[in-house]
Amino acid sequence: MSTAIDNPLARLRQRPRDNAAVYTVLVIGGLLWAFPLISAVRQSVAHGGFGNYLTVLTGEFNQVSLIRAFGNSLVIAALHALFVCAVGAMAAYAFAKISFPGREALYHLVLIFLAVPAVAVIVPVYYITGQLGLFNSPLGVALPEAALTLPFAVLLLRNYANGIPDTIIEAARIDRAGHARIFWHIFLPAARPALVNLAALSVMWSLQDFVFPSMVLKNADTTTAAQAVQTIQSAFGPTPEQTSQYFAALVLLAVPAVVLVVAGLKFITQGITAGGSKE
Amino acid sequence: MSAYPTTARREATAPRPAAHPEPSTAHQVGRRRRTRRALLAAAVFLSPLAVFYGIYYLYAFGFLADMSTKQTSLSFTDVTDVGLENFRLVLTDPAFHTALLNNLIFAAVSIVAALTIGFFLAVSLASGVRFRRLFYAVFLLPSLIPLSLFATVFGRMLETDDGAVNTALRSMGLGSLTQDWLGSTGPAYTALFVLLVYLVGLPVMYYTSDLSTLNTSVLEAAMIDGAKAGQMYRLILFPMLRGTHRTVILSVLLGSFRAFDVVYFSSNGQPGGRTQITGTYLYNTMMGSGRVGYASAAAVIVLVIAIAVSAVQILLERRSK
Repeated sequence: MSTAIDNPLARLRQRPRDNAAVYTVLVIGGLLWAFPLISAVRQSVAHGGFGNYLTVLTGEFNQVSLIRAFGNSLVIAALHALFVCAVGAMAAYAFAKISFPGREALYHLVLIFLAVPAVAVIVPVYYITGQLGLFNSPLGVALPEAALTLPFAVLLLRNYANGIPDTIIEAARIDRAGHARIFWHIFLPAARPALVNLAALSVMWSLQDFVFPSMVLKNADTTTAAQAVQTIQSAFGPTPEQTSQYFAALVLLAVPAVVLVVAGLKFITQGITAGGSKE
Repeated sequence: MSAYPTTARREATAPRPAAHPEPSTAHQVGRRRRTRRALLAAAVFLSPLAVFYGIYYLYAFGFLADMSTKQTSLSFTDVTDVGLENFRLVLTDPAFHTALLNNLIFAAVSIVAALTIGFFLAVSLASGVRFRRLFYAVFLLPSLIPLSLFATVFGRMLETDDGAVNTALRSMGLGSLTQDWLGSTGPAYTALFVLLVYLVGLPVMYYTSDLSTLNTSVLEAAMIDGAKAGQMYRLILFPMLRGTHRTVILSVLLGSFRAFDVVYFSSNGQPGGRTQITGTYLYNTMMGSGRVGYASAAAVIVLVIAIAVSAVQILLERRSK
């Protein structure tokens, strides 16, 4: 990959002493960063061995089954990603490829809501969810999550869309193609890389979300994985065996997220960094 | 707060017929018609976004503002008007002051960690080390898995009797350093600071991405001039990444209002609300004690601050262009 010749940063490690220092920091840091995971895995098998994993995977704790919790999380994450990508792409098209009066002002107004923290809107979201009859429904979680992710989606997709040459769009206009066709046949395929990044990020953020699921999903069989961390806690007593089982459950709850995140790390990194550096 | 967005939105999404009906030239008519058509198309493409914003921001903020002057419960029945009493109570509540202050402290810790540890890690990883991808994954993982999970594991590690941290300290012969981590103020802060340092993954991503587009060939010249590695980090690379520092600081600052899970699942504000942040304060007043009006007033204050930070960022961003 990158060798000392084509990577000027390798100069930082050219002297053996610097090289050793960098590796020492990375290895010690890496061990420290992996310590929570290692300690969780160790405790999960300390009493009862690897059988604990089978026990927690097949059992129900406070009526919560981990497998069902994974399923619920994935459904919500998929819905969230779908809303964010669809609504975000349409808005980004308007902000990048249709020139209308007041466009920049409106765009910046949309971006102001980047800062809204989920906990600050729990009162209205609770009320709205009740009015829409969405308690214990995946939509009740995915919709407010999407609302909070949309400002970022518009930012990311518009940044990307600005790089799609206007000449392609103009050529299509001369051929009398309407906005709907241009959006569907030209814009969406061109914006695909950005949409993939955004979808990966949306899935990750939804898997991380605790606030909305904990308010909206009250039935044990609708619980998400992030929420289960809390809901199953009281089902495990203070005995060594049950403590080990609780840790086994925690490790298992991390597995889908870890797999998805490691598989999509490239897209997540691209997405976050593309949205962060405006212009 | 909700009035401003409404008017601005209506202007752009609801196309109106041109103000002056008398056409002066054919050219102007054509332009006006194009503008009208563009407005119509924009309105169509922005309408799904407008629905989301309308419900979850405009209506929600209006509802929040309304509830902030009421006394009611989670069932939203039995609503009593209490005027600005909730705001008076929140603003004079020492626990709310602590929460706001903690937000700032935690943000400051995250920013310092990002600009030092995050910067160093990103540069080191970008310098072509072996096992780069493995290191990258290890340092990023805590930021990417559900925070509820990471903070819970972390909280468990800090348990006094059988937590992994005290156990490890004892096994290294450092038994005197063992603490009742989450039971007293000092160690609880320390534990949360360490937890925040572990979440340095996002800044590492920003730095890594910008490093790949940076012209670092100047390092070769510096090397020939006899610069030491430390000097290259501090005097060359750090200033070169000025733009990234700003992105990192602002994203961390805004993220700090979202650090709810970090505190909720590790210390949950203990001991005695000393490590509470605005997120846990809001959540616990609303979901814990069901004091909806009071929580709404606190939420309005938090929103005003968060949106002010965001507006300043956007203004700075526009000016720098």
